[in-house]
Amino acid sequence: MREKISFTLNGVFMETDVDPDVRLADFLRDELHLIGTKIGCKRGECGACTVIFNGKAVTSCLVPVMRADGAVIETIEGLAEGDKLHPIQEEFINHGAVQCGFCTPGMIMSAKALLDENPNPTPTEVCEALGGNICRCTGYKKIQEAVLAAAERMRKGW
Amino acid sequence: MKYVLAKSIGEALGALADAQGKGRVISGGTDLTIDMEEGKISADVLIDVTQIPEMKEIRIEGDELVIGASATLTEITHNPLVRRYFLSLTKGTGCIGSLQIRNSATLTGNVVSAQPAADGGMAVAPLNPAYVISREGAEDKKLNTQEMYAGFGRTAIDPHNEMVKEIRIPLPKENEASSYVRLELRKSLSLPMLNVAAMAGATGGEVDWVRITMGPVGVGPVRARHAEEWLAGKKLNWKNMAEAGNMALLDAKPRSNPLRGSREYREATLPILVRRALEDIATQLGVKYEKEG
Repeated sequence: MREKISFTLNGVFMETDVDPDVRLADFLRDELHLIGTKIGCKRGECGACTVIFNGKAVTSCLVPVMRADGAVIETIEGLAEGDKLHPIQEEFINHGAVQCGFCTPGMIMSAKALLDENPNPTPTEVCEALGGNICRCTGYKKIQEAVLAAAERMRKGW
Repeated sequence: MKYVLAKSIGEALGALADAQGKGRVISGGTDLTIDMEEGKISADVLIDVTQIPEMKEIRIEGDELVIGASATLTEITHNPLVRRYFLSLTKGTGCIGSLQIRNSATLTGNVVSAQPAADGGMAVAPLNPAYVISREGAEDKKLNTQEMYAGFGRTAIDPHNEMVKEIRIPLPKENEASSYVRLELRKSLSLPMLNVAAMAGATGGEVDWVRITMGPVGVGPVRARHAEEWLAGKKLNWKNMAEAGNMALLDAKPRSNPLRGSREYREATLPILVRRALEDIATQLGVKYEKEG
């Protein structure tokens, strides 16, 4: 039986009914068609499905959709403003931190959660924040550099 | 499946009782959702306890630190009370899984999943915790570490009728300290190859008592009883700490794991980890010792 829940997604308040068996990642992709959130392992081990849930980065593949009731959720689709990309997105492009791109939305959401809490992270803090996001092609150096560059830009205003 | 977002402990216990053996409590859910997906666990009703305010609390009550069962690992790791009294616990909870996992998962869940190398379960084990178990229509009961673990991946809790409400840990005295060390292949998303936690009281550089737990070398956190008994009453010096490490092998039965080390490797490194855990305690208590060998 479907249940009614309400939440704020990328700044928009929504009321909808959901299948309680479903995980948040599947709900975002299959019902809201927000396919920027990727599903890799479905065990919380790859980080591709990372979204920001009440201010914290979580693997949405392990979050029951019913828990979204009353929550504030951000996905990769909420970062750009129209055609203007978020500084983290721009710096990923500038630093060549994207190759196949499958891990990128999760990486960027982990990075955003970090910079929302800590605008001036050390390289080690970036590694810790992104330690749950696996990339199989780029290597992590460019990703780390992109996040630090985005942090610097965001500290100066953007 | 029915999903209940409980707002109070009473509502959660009532829903669990109403499910008549077909309900399960879900908190962080980082293990349970996977077990349900793989068909290892099934439930007609899930009772979510993450929105019960008192189960999220971390507080001092009398001479105990009380950690609500729904406090996330991130909340525990960054809590000033936990940091003040049990830095070893913040080390344990701070290295579980990844940040995303720690933002959802709980220490209670880490204990209840009962994996023998669980960082959180290991770090809390020597602190003499009491797990407060609630059931509809019954008085709360308390289980200690030994009573809690019932086998590989199993605890003594009846998951269809009971839930852990909180963990209560006696505050350390001035001459007591605790430690946590792990041997790992990588920092994120990996269980340790070995982990050791310890707590000790010492007077004038001499050990009054010590509790040492280690994994994965048996069911749950395994006590190094021989080493504990031998070390009590002795000086906390390098030679004794190293010997206690060697004696820990008497209570350890490590197995070979293709990813996390052979039995032989674990037997060779366990004494070193135990010694390091004791060294950390000596340092915290201001006991000076000369390194030898």
